Amino acid sequence: MWKRRRRTVDDFSEEIQAHIALEAERLVEQGMSPEAARAAAHRTFGSVTRTRERFYESRRAIWLQQFVQDLRYALRGLRRSRAFVASTVLTLAVGMSLVTVVFAILNAYILRPFAVHDPYSLYSVVWRAQEAGGSTFRWKDYQQFLSRGDLFDGVIAETVRRVTSDGRQLSVGFVSGNYFETLGARVALGRSLAPADAPSPGGAPTVLLSHRTWTRVFDADPAILGREVHLNGQKLFVIGVMAPEFVGLDDLPRDLWAPLTMSAVLGGDDLFGTKQPRSLRVTARLRRDVTPAQAQGSLNLEPFETKVAGQLDAVRARLEQKATPGRLSREGLAVLSPVFAAFVLVLLAACANASNVMLARANARHREIGIRLSIGANRGRIIRQLLTEGLLIAMLSALAGLALAALLLRLGMFLFVVLLPPTIALRVRFVPLDFDYRVFAFACGVACVATVMFALLPALQATRLTLTDALRGQPSGALRSSTLRSILVTGQVTVSLVLLIVAVTLVRNGTAIQSTNLGFDTHDVISVRQFRDDPALVERAYRELVSDPLIDRVVVTSRNPLFGEPPGFPLQRPHGIVRGTYSFVSPEYFAFLRIPIVHGRGFSADEARQESAVAVVSASGASALWPGDDPIGKTIRLNIEPRGRRLTVAETMHELRKVGDESKYAIVVTVVGVASDAVNGFIYTGAESHFYLPTSANGSRADALMVRGRTAGSSVESIKSMLLRAHADPTVFDVLSLDEMLTLQTFPLRAASLIGTFLSVIALALSISGLYGVLVYTFSQRTQEIGIRMALGASAGAVRRLVFTQSARLASAGTALGLLVGFSVMKFLSTVITLENVSVIDPGAFAVSFVLIAAAVALASYGPARRAGRIDPSSMLRADG
Amino acid sequence: MSPRRRESDAVALLQGTLDLLILRTLLFGPQHGQGIARSIEQQADDTLLVDHGSLYPALQRLEARGWIEAEWGTSDNNRRARFYTLTKRGRKQLVAETRQWRRLAAAIGRILGPEEA
Repeated sequence: MWKRRRRTVDDFSEEIQAHIALEAERLVEQGMSPEAARAAAHRTFGSVTRTRERFYESRRAIWLQQFVQDLRYALRGLRRSRAFVASTVLTLAVGMSLVTVVFAILNAYILRPFAVHDPYSLYSVVWRAQEAGGSTFRWKDYQQFLSRGDLFDGVIAETVRRVTSDGRQLSVGFVSGNYFETLGARVALGRSLAPADAPSPGGAPTVLLSHRTWTRVFDADPAILGREVHLNGQKLFVIGVMAPEFVGLDDLPRDLWAPLTMSAVLGGDDLFGTKQPRSLRVTARLRRDVTPAQAQGSLNLEPFETKVAGQLDAVRARLEQKATPGRLSREGLAVLSPVFAAFVLVLLAACANASNVMLARANARHREIGIRLSIGANRGRIIRQLLTEGLLIAMLSALAGLALAALLLRLGMFLFVVLLPPTIALRVRFVPLDFDYRVFAFACGVACVATVMFALLPALQATRLTLTDALRGQPSGALRSSTLRSILVTGQVTVSLVLLIVAVTLVRNGTAIQSTNLGFDTHDVISVRQFRDDPALVERAYRELVSDPLIDRVVVTSRNPLFGEPPGFPLQRPHGIVRGTYSFVSPEYFAFLRIPIVHGRGFSADEARQESAVAVVSASGASALWPGDDPIGKTIRLNIEPRGRRLTVAETMHELRKVGDESKYAIVVTVVGVASDAVNGFIYTGAESHFYLPTSANGSRADALMVRGRTAGSSVESIKSMLLRAHADPTVFDVLSLDEMLTLQTFPLRAASLIGTFLSVIALALSISGLYGVLVYTFSQRTQEIGIRMALGASAGAVRRLVFTQSARLASAGTALGLLVGFSVMKFLSTVITLENVSVIDPGAFAVSFVLIAAAVALASYGPARRAGRIDPSSMLRADG
Repeated sequence: MSPRRRESDAVALLQGTLDLLILRTLLFGPQHGQGIARSIEQQADDTLLVDHGSLYPALQRLEARGWIEAEWGTSDNNRRARFYTLTKRGRKQLVAETRQWRRLAAAIGRILGPEEA
């Protein structure tokens, strides 16, 4: 019976005809005349049409046919009201495009797997020790994994570095010879790298371009194969171009790929010698007949040695699934969900608006609906028809929303790059953000959900009619529908107020941060950091810069201010634990950055040379550690990380736990001076209890430089060219102005303010139009009443007041609710965000948002109020309601 | 037997009993729609009135549930007709429904008490 074909109506009719014929024959046999028999048979059967109808309805395809019918009807109906369709589609499209943008980004980073063969069998290999961990390996470790053919179908290694090509910074993935063979990514032109390209160090100078590099740098030159490319002054030959969808195995797209054997030739460390650096990222393709648990278990039996915190330690390799560029951790989700919520709220506001318009339309159509009900349509059928209309609108909106989303994404990427400091912006790469089937499916899903949100209520409302009411032209539901519309407007006002509060708080914090006193002068200061752990490099760079006539001054530091959180340690004090931070600086540091020494003295040249155990403490540090006491001459034990090795987060945590004196890195310093407070880490956290310790250019702690040119506006580029004299590879130094670093630090806040403002402006516009719609509708229903009022002596002013009162009443509930929700949201956020220079609960922001909402309400009521004031009572009374 | 007579004496079928009677009729072998209707009426000595119009939706329903199967064939008097056959599942259903109906009838009989003359 499963393969039974659906019966046709004809087949069924034939059966009925046969039945009637058989019955008639029986009656003829009983002695009736053929005509009488036929008539009798028909009579016994009853209504053939009715039977056929029942058969027709029993077929399951009926709903589909009705759907097509509804769709056709809806199309006809919508074509007749173009203005309604256009406004509704536009409103919904705005809301839908916003969530689509969020989804497209999520999709590109978290959902879409790498464009390689069987991405779900890829695992990245990382290592874990007691209190440390990492994701990079030595060449010999990689060889160890490579020999596990019993677990893996292939194991690949990559190390990523930046190189310069004709003044352009490019990110290069140096990959093992089997990289592309194992991944099986598509090539657009030529061929990808093969094992034969990585025979021996420096063996084959070949390079593979990403599609983006090919189009952007080489103008999609069709004759690119075999062309020379200069990387760090070395000649390499292009052998192919990858397809646009493959950009590398993480969220930072590569510009080029070269054989691992070329890494040292291009200025990298020797990967294969006796002192193998830990710099290879390893990815393995699990064999199909091995489960991840089996592979993990087998790897656990084979620990290998590596240096952790300066000591050899046995560590275990761990496998982590790696099919997509990013993974959404629980923490990530917690951070991102308020952002998602904001976007979804705007969609909700848009749906409320559309719902409002649909309600008005349904009310206008109550006569039509009444007639349909009275000639026998059942309520479910009409609701289905109205929902079909809604679905049609939603689908149109989803299409428009997709187009708008594509536009918004481009705009967003453009703004992202523009808001970043130019030096950083040059390095920004996005994974391909194009729309695939997932995005389309999402848009369709959103359209269906939106249909329920904006079309279901109006449909239920519209069909709640009694026949008499409907035919009289007096919808009994009118009163209830106006309550419904007020609720929708209340919701909209709430949403926009909450978004406004968030946005205004962000903007106000943004401006406050911009004007925060850093405590030092960033003007014209350029930071020079090195990417190699090589003190000699710093010294050479120092000598080159100091001797250059264009350079005014050079200072030496262990780390420059604003470049992330400075290293720190806990200090046990009677009243609790104080976190202290430190940096090593040369004696000129304070004068260079114009940080005044408020008490005591700075460092002498001798102290700097010897890196003596003396310290200058920040003013807030002094008052935290020795309140009401003279800090000069006091001694204190500080935990300092050993030279030449940066502690991992796990190690820092480990050190932080053993407070004070037990630490193996502790040194005792004597305080010689107090400097005024300055921001050393993040501008949001403000000034900390900071210790400055002495160093000099040839000191063991020298790791970074800061320079100021003799003429104002000496550029990053000119410093870079000077540094070429210290090292031929320009990528070993990171040259960035402090102002750019500051821009980078404030970037997240500025980006968030921009997005917040954008969302709240849209939400505000939606609630203005929603409120306007409700007012116009309500007062069009009340024209007669107003006419009577005016005839009885009410002035135009009084009528206008009536409108404003009504609108204020509508908005007041939403405003109260919005303030309440806004406050609880901020209250919650204030427990998450505890930053010195960021005020989360900002009364000013609440006040500004309130004023903005009030202004919006006034704006929405202005038109309807004017119109109501101009009602002519005499014509109103004559008109037949 | 004229249609007139049927209307006066016959009893309309109880809701839901038509399915049972159809299954029962088909127990004796394949039959077409008119034959089923006739057979029910005859076996009930023309006391039961089968609404021919509602017979077909019922057949359709039983077919959809897989209790009966249908095939076009030729009737005794050489007419093309659609013949229905009881399936294995239909047989089981018939047994179950018959038992249920007997229990129901017996219960109602007990409540109504002995028949009054």
